[in-house]
Amino acid sequence: MLTYDILIIGSGGAGLYAALESRSEEELRVGVLTKIYPTRSHTGAAQGGVNAALANLDSTDTWQDHWFDTVKGSDYLADQDAAEIMTREAPMVVREMEHWGCPFSRTDEGKIAQRPFGGASKPRACYSADKVGHVMLHTLYEQGIRHGVNFLNEWQVLSLMHDGTRCQGVTAINTQTGRVHTINAKAVILATGGHGRIYWTRTSNAFGNTGDGTAMAYRAGLPIKDMEFIQFHPTGLRRTGILMSEGARGEGAYLLNGLGERFMSRYAPDKMELGPRDLVSRSCETEVREGRGGPEGEVFLDMTHLGKERILEKLPQIRELCIEFEGVDPIEEPVPIKPTAHYSMGGIHTDINGQTEIEGIYAAGEAGCVSVHGANRLGGNSLLDILVFGKRAGKHALEYARGASFTPVSTEQEERDTQMINTMMDGKGSGITIADIRHAMGNLMAEKVGVYRNASDLESAISKLADLQEQFKQMRIQDKTKAFNTELVSALELKNMLDLAEVVTAGALERKESRGAHTREDHLERDDKNWLAHTMATQGADGRPKLEFSPVTITEFEPKARTY
Amino acid sequence: MNATITPDRKSILANIRIQRFTPGEHKSAFYDNFKVNVETGMTVLEVLRLIKNTQDSSLTFRAFCRSKICGSCSVRVNGKPLLACSTQLMPILDDFKQESVIIQPMRNMPVLRDLVVDIDPVIEKLAKMHPYIMENRGRIPETLEQESLMSRQELTKFDYITDCILCGSCYSACSAASADPNYAGPLTLGKAYRFSADVRDSFKGERMQAAVDQGLWSCAQCRKCINVCPKDTRPAISIQRLRKMSIDDGIHDTPGSRRAKAYTDDVAKYGQVNKPMLPVIVNGPKGWAAIEAADNYLIKHGIEPTHQVCTLDGQSSTQKIYAKVKELESRGENKT
Ligand SMILES: Cc1cc2nc3c(=O)[nH]c(=O)nc-3n(C[C@H](O)[C@H](O)[C@H](O)COP(=O)(O)OP(=O)(O)OC[C@H]3O[C@@H](n4cnc5c(N)ncnc54)[C@H](O)[C@@H]3O)c2cc1C
Ligand code: SF4
Ligand code: SF4
Ligand code: FES
Repeated sequence: MLTYDILIIGSGGAGLYAALESRSEEELRVGVLTKIYPTRSHTGAAQGGVNAALANLDSTDTWQDHWFDTVKGSDYLADQDAAEIMTREAPMVVREMEHWGCPFSRTDEGKIAQRPFGGASKPRACYSADKVGHVMLHTLYEQGIRHGVNFLNEWQVLSLMHDGTRCQGVTAINTQTGRVHTINAKAVILATGGHGRIYWTRTSNAFGNTGDGTAMAYRAGLPIKDMEFIQFHPTGLRRTGILMSEGARGEGAYLLNGLGERFMSRYAPDKMELGPRDLVSRSCETEVREGRGGPEGEVFLDMTHLGKERILEKLPQIRELCIEFEGVDPIEEPVPIKPTAHYSMGGIHTDINGQTEIEGIYAAGEAGCVSVHGANRLGGNSLLDILVFGKRAGKHALEYARGASFTPVSTEQEERDTQMINTMMDGKGSGITIADIRHAMGNLMAEKVGVYRNASDLESAISKLADLQEQFKQMRIQDKTKAFNTELVSALELKNMLDLAEVVTAGALERKESRGAHTREDHLERDDKNWLAHTMATQGADGRPKLEFSPVTITEFEPKARTY
Repeated sequence: MNATITPDRKSILANIRIQRFTPGEHKSAFYDNFKVNVETGMTVLEVLRLIKNTQDSSLTFRAFCRSKICGSCSVRVNGKPLLACSTQLMPILDDFKQESVIIQPMRNMPVLRDLVVDIDPVIEKLAKMHPYIMENRGRIPETLEQESLMSRQELTKFDYITDCILCGSCYSACSAASADPNYAGPLTLGKAYRFSADVRDSFKGERMQAAVDQGLWSCAQCRKCINVCPKDTRPAISIQRLRKMSIDDGIHDTPGSRRAKAYTDDVAKYGQVNKPMLPVIVNGPKGWAAIEAADNYLIKHGIEPTHQVCTLDGQSSTQKIYAKVKELESRGENKT
């Protein structure tokens, strides 16, 4: 049996930072297990920036300003003690990244460059051209190589194990061989990222952002928190959901419906295309719902009037994106877009050290929910979250593992998982494929649990998801080869997504208010009297989510109306 | 404006020929043909996924971000390594004036299954190159209360290389890597230069030794790596710069740097290279064996060997050019 003192699941920013923090000069075995190669993780896709009140651009910026912006941005659902820790520690972790060689862009004096970002009162997003997540991820990986971090690449975790109070470890399949293993660990840190893929093609997320760790924790009886909050970005490319940044609209691009009308005049006559993300997303959605979309339910981002020169000079990267991924040159024609699921605010419930209710089990990053983002995450705060709480989880797990002993574990779970896989591989099945179910799930979620929600849509989504669960049971994997079976990888991911889609939908149905990213057409107001609370979901004995609510920590800022 | 938008989307029934192979199941690689309706806007990756979803779920390839940033999805299309996720298929079909393309795994790495190759050997080479900053305490403060200062000029020296996504396309195309499996490869040497050119680093010496040991002077400068890199990180240029750095820093004691030095010294002195004597300059006394073998060969064919440098007309102009280059170099490195 493989054993690790500390096993980190996931090699995005959160996992790698935890690994660097928990690597020790002592005799502790620390491993990072990841379903891809470390530098492929989705952290690399972040372009814009990481927030820290370094005050390099605006000398009046303070961490307290950052704290307030974060709480306000969260629509007051963030825990204020957690947001305080994150914003206070921000300058330290960003400088640590810099000391490790992260190539941030520079100001005239040679300091880390910062830029303004949505929802921030001062320019505090530290950036590296348009590749900040990429360079952060690579810097962490490089330092991991330097310090001899032990990587298990292309391994997929299946189940989390504990004895009711203490961590036992995980089961995982080695994709390259197809074998299931039991891994005994004193401490496990789940840093498996978000679950934007429950919207399948309607997301800016990577194929593998399927919420595996969150689903695993849920099935292991741990509460998962605020799952109904999913942030949508208004301008994802039609085919792939790949993000088109606000840059184009900032340069003067128009949003047009299928009839060629600048429809934002209906919703935000002053700000037009430059309204806040959630409002623009809702407007695009309304146009399509009311039958004014393009041939495939899209709207269009039109840059043609800006002219070739201006596009080439100001928006070369955006143009490249349109050509490479959508086959459309924005100089010549409008680019088809749809709102796209972008960030998962919810996740595994933890305290400010990343600890869950089970001793030795931790979660960090997008998979976790401390909560610092509440109902709506600010741009640039997620990369910060993964650094601060990745580091804290790593540090705490190290202290824990130093003192704790291994909790024995049998191979029972391994046998159950192997059996489950064998069943999926066995026989021909009903003819329904993973692709069919995934496609249906994504469309269902985008239509009924998307930008707009209402009770009757959500109820019908719950029952349709139950049908999809049934279909999943009939589904059989056609590829019978054990080694590198990517169809099996996808099936295991789909199982996780179906579980989480149900929790997201159940939470959205229960929460009868509109707050942050959650908009109920039938309850349009924020309702602090009844709903200033975190949603806690656990899996009931019947396999369905059970919801409870817990109070939000308010230390400094009384909830106020959120206006910009 | 205000005219209904009807995008022009065309579609071709194309034949997609894909190399297949599962070690242990198949004796050797073979090809499968898939008929796919390729539409305007479809990337190579979308076509692969469409085949997997609707025709053959066992087709195996890697992909993750599908947005040109994770480096998972490199394959060869009509022989050229590229990222499947950021390559439109229609223009390739148009270019080749054919309704058919061939998709194969990258070269120079063992195939694990179908289009998936084993990148561990490359990652291991990278790990041996000390691909990280070791703090130069002259530049990086001890405390996290301060950041280190670095000018934009200092950053520009290496920033272009930090775009590398470790996709392996350059390694697949590299002439030196196919000739010598021990050659570090373009991305790895590029990374070596990236760290050594960073003023915050203090590990240049060790890294340079690792680079030399792993073939810094074996690169043929064929520039294929530059042609295929989807991130335009220009590894061959970094390799040139790393070579120059190794000579400037006085790591003269390697065959390559000795050869380079002999070339430059000769050009300065004679206006051309004293080729007959190179083996001795590069390999020391051992080189005489090579010279004797060459002499014998020449004598056998009735040619009198010479160890003299022959001078040509116009040599003084070569010397002038050389002097000019030296002067330019001393004013600072060329920027790209
Ligand atoms: C397009 C885009 C742009 C963004 N821009 C910004 C920005 O400008 N600023 C900002 O702050 N945030 C941004 N974000 C958000 C931010 O990038 C992410 O929230 C953050 O990187 C998440 O990091 P992570 O470490 O939690 O997870 P990830 O980086 O997603 O890593 C998850 C890891 O878990 C592993 N894993 C998952 N499941 C398993 C399993 N079953 N077994 C083993 N391993 C597993 C994966 O292999 C991966 O290594 C952006 C997000 C997107 C999609
Ligand atoms: S220039 Fe050198 S590193 Fe680049 S492909 Fe050619 S031999 Fe390889
Ligand atoms: S140098 Fe370019 S081609 Fe080579 S691995 Fe890096 S990004 Fe890929
Ligand atoms: S899938 Fe990430 S680079 Fe192509």
